[in-house]
Amino acid sequence: MMDKTYILEQGILELYVLGELNDSEQQQVEDILYQNPELKAELERIEMKFEALAFEQAIEAPKSVKNELMYQVSNKASKTIPLKQNNKRYLGIAASISALLLIGSVYFYSEWNTAKQQLKLVEDQNSELNNKIDNLAKDLNTTKSVLASINNPNTEKYILKGNELMPDAKVISYVNFAEKSVVINTEYLPELDEEHDYQMWADVKGEMIDMGIIDTNQVMLAMNYIENSESLNITIEPAGGNDHPTVSQLITNVYLK
Amino acid sequence: MSDEKALILKLQSQDETALSLVYDKYSAALYGVIIRMCKDEDAAKNLLQDTFMTIWEKSDGYDFEKGRFYTWAYRIAKNKTLNFLRKPNHLIQIEDLSVYKDKTEDVTNTIDEFKLKGNIKRLEPHHQRAIELVYFNGLTHREAHEEMNVPLGTFKSYIRQALKQLQESYIKIISFLMILIEGLR
Repeated sequence: MMDKTYILEQGILELYVLGELNDSEQQQVEDILYQNPELKAELERIEMKFEALAFEQAIEAPKSVKNELMYQVSNKASKTIPLKQNNKRYLGIAASISALLLIGSVYFYSEWNTAKQQLKLVEDQNSELNNKIDNLAKDLNTTKSVLASINNPNTEKYILKGNELMPDAKVISYVNFAEKSVVINTEYLPELDEEHDYQMWADVKGEMIDMGIIDTNQVMLAMNYIENSESLNITIEPAGGNDHPTVSQLITNVYLK
Repeated sequence: MSDEKALILKLQSQDETALSLVYDKYSAALYGVIIRMCKDEDAAKNLLQDTFMTIWEKSDGYDFEKGRFYTWAYRIAKNKTLNFLRKPNHLIQIEDLSVYKDKTEDVTNTIDEFKLKGNIKRLEPHHQRAIELVYFNGLTHREAHEEMNVPLGTFKSYIRQALKQLQESYIKIISFLMILIEGLR
């Protein structure tokens, strides 16, 4: 165990200053130094002698050593700064990308809206066209069937001419007894006011049987075929038709052969 | 608080200006030690820079209570230089040189430049040699007494004698340093 006398006699302080002690010896010396001001003062004297010696024997080092040292130190110290700058740069890049994305989003949103409106317009036009096509197809079908029934060799053509009540009226009717169909052409029937309709009747052994109301909006119109009909008659009736014909309003009739 | 203590505290707070001032104050003394130990100017420059890099990075490890700052810095410089001299590749480098003879002459010339100067030359040759071996050549007491072929106890007394005589020649410097120390308290 070291004590003050041992340390002084063995020149331990010199070894301590020169760094020749091992870790445990060094620790012991330091512990004693803390408690012993006298020994501490002796240590300082030895240190100063060596220090004075070193300053006396000093050799100026080339300037380049200090330059290199200070360069390295400030570079090491500022190592975090380039990172920060990089971070800033990355932030800048990120911000630019976000800004571009935002502008892009706004642009594409407006583009999308325009496209949506255009699509709706096209869809509307499309459904309108579809409706027109449907109607045309229906018309075509009607026309075809009408044409077919007219062109049928079994079809007889009867022309109902207006009497003195309505001399201008003319209705062409096509009757097919084999297929039991009646089609009329309303093209030459004068328009009636809204409160009246033309109604067609079949005369079966003196009894007038309803063949239907004539829709003057349609040029060719299929009517109900009535079996054993002797004549075709058209009257003017209140709008919506009548159960029995108003004979005084009979405008035309034709006898079937 | 003394200027010296304030400077070291600034160094410990990683103040680069403080490092610059510490370098200006101690580098020549440390370089004198390093170059006399390794006898190689290029290596000495690197070791000095390395020493100050460690002083900068490990300044927290210096404790005012355990001794003077210079003593702490000296130990760092000494250890670095000894480690360098013990490196196998350093020995190989010297041994591999085909111009070994020329190199030796160069080294001899350089050693002349690095000979001790000033008051230490007034010491008796064996005292001067003892100080040179332990302080400027980095030998341990054990290695140095074998080098001088004297008993360890005798060698220790050489060191003590040498320091005592140096104290007389350094009296002005040391009394100045004592004033600084009083300022510390």
